[in-house]
Amino acid sequence: MKLKRQKPKEKFSYDPQKVLKKLEDLAWKILEEVKSGKNPYFDVPTRGLNNVYFDEEARLIKLGDKLSRRYFLNVAHARKFTQTLILMAYIKRLVSEGKHASLREAYYANKHTIPGTRENTFEDQSESDPIIEDLERMLGVLREEMHITADRRGYIYGDIVIKDGEDEFNASKLGTGGWAVPGTVEHIQFPEVNVDYVLVVETAAMADRLIEEKYPKKENCLIVATQGQASRGVRRLIHRLHYEEGLPIIVFTDGDPYGWYIYSTIKQGSINLAYLSEKLATPDAKFVGMTMDDIKEYNLEHVTEKLKGIPPDKKGGPTGDYKRLIEELNYPWFQNKEWQRQLKLALKWGVRIEQQALANKSLEFVAKEYLPEKIREGKLLP
Amino acid sequence: MAEARDLFKEFKVQSVSEFFRRNAAMLGYTGKIRSLTTIIHEAVTNSLDACEEAGILPYIRVEIEELGKEHYKVIVEDNGPGIPEEYIPHVFGKMLAGTKAHRNIQSRGQQGIGISGAVMFAQITSGKATRVITSTGGEIVEAWVKIDVQKNEGKIVKKLKHPNPKGWRGTRIELEVKDVKYVRSKQGVYWYLKLTAIANPHAHIELVEPDGKLVVFPRSSEDIPEPPVEMKPHPKGVMVDDVYTMAHRSKRSSVRRFLVSEFSRISDKKVDELIKYITALRLIKSETNKEVKEKLYEKLVSGDVDSVLRAFGRKWKKELEKVAKIMDKSPEKLTWHEAEEIVEAFKLMKFLAPPTHGLRPIGEENIKKGLTSILKPEFVTAVTRAPRVYAGGIPFQVEVGLAYGGQIQGSEILRYANRVPLLFDAGSCVITSAVRSIDWKRYKIDSFDSAPLVVLVNVVSVHVPYTSTGKQSIADIDEIHNEIRLALMDAARRLSFYLGGKFRRMYQVKRRKTLEKYLPEIARSLHILTGEPEEKIKEYFLKLIESKIEVEEVSEVEAEEAEA
Repeated sequence: MKLKRQKPKEKFSYDPQKVLKKLEDLAWKILEEVKSGKNPYFDVPTRGLNNVYFDEEARLIKLGDKLSRRYFLNVAHARKFTQTLILMAYIKRLVSEGKHASLREAYYANKHTIPGTRENTFEDQSESDPIIEDLERMLGVLREEMHITADRRGYIYGDIVIKDGEDEFNASKLGTGGWAVPGTVEHIQFPEVNVDYVLVVETAAMADRLIEEKYPKKENCLIVATQGQASRGVRRLIHRLHYEEGLPIIVFTDGDPYGWYIYSTIKQGSINLAYLSEKLATPDAKFVGMTMDDIKEYNLEHVTEKLKGIPPDKKGGPTGDYKRLIEELNYPWFQNKEWQRQLKLALKWGVRIEQQALANKSLEFVAKEYLPEKIREGKLLP
Repeated sequence: MAEARDLFKEFKVQSVSEFFRRNAAMLGYTGKIRSLTTIIHEAVTNSLDACEEAGILPYIRVEIEELGKEHYKVIVEDNGPGIPEEYIPHVFGKMLAGTKAHRNIQSRGQQGIGISGAVMFAQITSGKATRVITSTGGEIVEAWVKIDVQKNEGKIVKKLKHPNPKGWRGTRIELEVKDVKYVRSKQGVYWYLKLTAIANPHAHIELVEPDGKLVVFPRSSEDIPEPPVEMKPHPKGVMVDDVYTMAHRSKRSSVRRFLVSEFSRISDKKVDELIKYITALRLIKSETNKEVKEKLYEKLVSGDVDSVLRAFGRKWKKELEKVAKIMDKSPEKLTWHEAEEIVEAFKLMKFLAPPTHGLRPIGEENIKKGLTSILKPEFVTAVTRAPRVYAGGIPFQVEVGLAYGGQIQGSEILRYANRVPLLFDAGSCVITSAVRSIDWKRYKIDSFDSAPLVVLVNVVSVHVPYTSTGKQSIADIDEIHNEIRLALMDAARRLSFYLGGKFRRMYQVKRRKTLEKYLPEIARSLHILTGEPEEKIKEYFLKLIESKIEVEEVSEVEAEEAEA
């Protein structure tokens, strides 16, 4: 199988004016309600598991249609109602001035004592963060689009040209460290894409190994190191590379419940950010390894490790890795024979296998044999 | 069995002071604090009663001077009708103990010894005579009174007369007492006068404490209570010695006439029935077969006196004639045994409930006035129940008052019997147990003990059933307990209604404040988002709040309660 760049399905869509319009429209709705003597309200899609479902067709975790109405005249709602307006006004300023702020900055920028009271607009960040999440859901706009940046983590390396504001550069010419993915990637554009696919790698150590072995050049791919669970920026970047640039996505993680969870999040989205799945998730992503079958295939039995936690058939179990494993067995998107086989084997053997265990063969093994072979032969999991 | 009259004679020969000492507890002279309270009680009661009878709004001033350790001078002055010179020895000297002359009148005192006891106490502890200054409007008489313990009479040891150019009228008495103590406790003089003032809103009461501090309990009502009237005793409420003593004092021609005219609810027909009952009782007692005896007695209890009599065949007519003869003889000749038979029959017979016109409650309006002016609460309500009867024939009436909030701190139960504050033995009193039996939570009082709530209960009766001779707590009689409960629940419902409205209003005000405080933030944010002027946005929101959250007007019922 030869991986090739496909036709894009989405276009670069970032437009600050759209975000501003959405904010202003909502504000006017409130004001008009008040003018006509009605109790103004915000409709906020409900958070939590009971308002989340798996859309089989889109193959995405999506938010349900449950709403909670936040009224001004309700004493229990009035504070949050006010906080929502305060942050809306703040975001309008950020977006129109072209500035970005972190969640924490957004909290500090808006924290002050309400005149004539001893009450603060926000007592701590745990009050402002959920309101920003609420706004994402209410407006259908990512917080990155509202210029509130997420934690940054992860980097990329490969032959693509990136336009970040006024800077334009090739991500394969920045040294072995690659280009660190910023908190917000909405405004990033890709004037030139010279790779065939994207390889998403869980650990930085493995990504560095592949770069040193010149894997991106030889295989003509872009390496994305997530450094653990993929940050929102990285997930958005993967999504955009797939949908806007037509690049196939291959994910390479440790062979353990946590690694597979990272894959699951990239592919289907997460329960917490279900409302963002359509912008963050990439259901077409494929999984290259590590798998339980790799252990037999490549004779890695002696470099496995035991799963952490208590197995389900033992007293107090399941906990730790086992607990996550059982959960994954029940994920709707893992209801296929390939994944059920891997997960059941892990449960049966009680072992995990790290990416770096491949170094047991030789340092080059992963770049020269394991990955090229598996990808060429199409030994990928859905 | 010794006859009561003999007992009385015996009592007379013993020394009055000895009697006083022996019966100190019954007369209220135990303990240093309580003795002082009792002296004040006797003097103030005299003043209130005198003013009531004369139709005068009372003004009473109490002064207590400390002369030494546990040594005080007590001065009580009133604006009453004054005491005519010739009555002074009688009022202050006659020990009325032992007689029950005023048995059927609702009185504050009921101690039967009154102010003379105070004079006696002063005399025993300090050896000093009581100084009385009084005038009925003419000359002012200043007299020093002592009690002649031999003759059981008051004796004026010194007397002066003064001109009265300003036409002063009233009475001032000064007693010097030892072995007493002034303490501002719940059993002391201050508390006693405070409670008296609440129950007597028509009286102005002042107290000068030993440290010179003046406390004023001002008058809040201009209505002078009507003096109580004497009521004929009801057959269900009398004891053997009552019947015996009354008969012997009676000037009626026969026992029948005595019964018909000196008791309430006894007619000629009832006397005929009484004869049958006494006859039946005699016959039953003569029956030897125990089983038959019990059966017949049961029948009698059920009221079927005729069939009981018939059960004895011819025998009963002869006996009936004998009993009938009792009714025809002079009441003076009624024997103790016959009086016993009459009372026993009374217990089995049915009578109309006694008349209640002699009861003198404080009244709902006056309770509210008293509580309001002395306690300054934010809410007050009172309930006076209709008269009821206990023990089959003793009329009584219950009234309660509730005062909530305002300057009241903590809860308090104010107990009264015939307007007289009860300060001791709260634990054994039916008022305490009835108040405690109320589920106050149901009336929006979360915890009775910490609520700012004063509960006043006044039990009115010609014969208050005290638990002991100290007359400081009322016996737990079901009928009285229930009446107190009913009155309290009625009053508590009104309180709960008031509190409901108050909480509702407070909630609305709070709600408005909560919403309004966010307006500057909202206006600023919406201004940034829409460009509308902040002031205008604020106006829109204020209008919305005003139209949606009305602070409800106090309803009429509540207003009426609150203003009282």
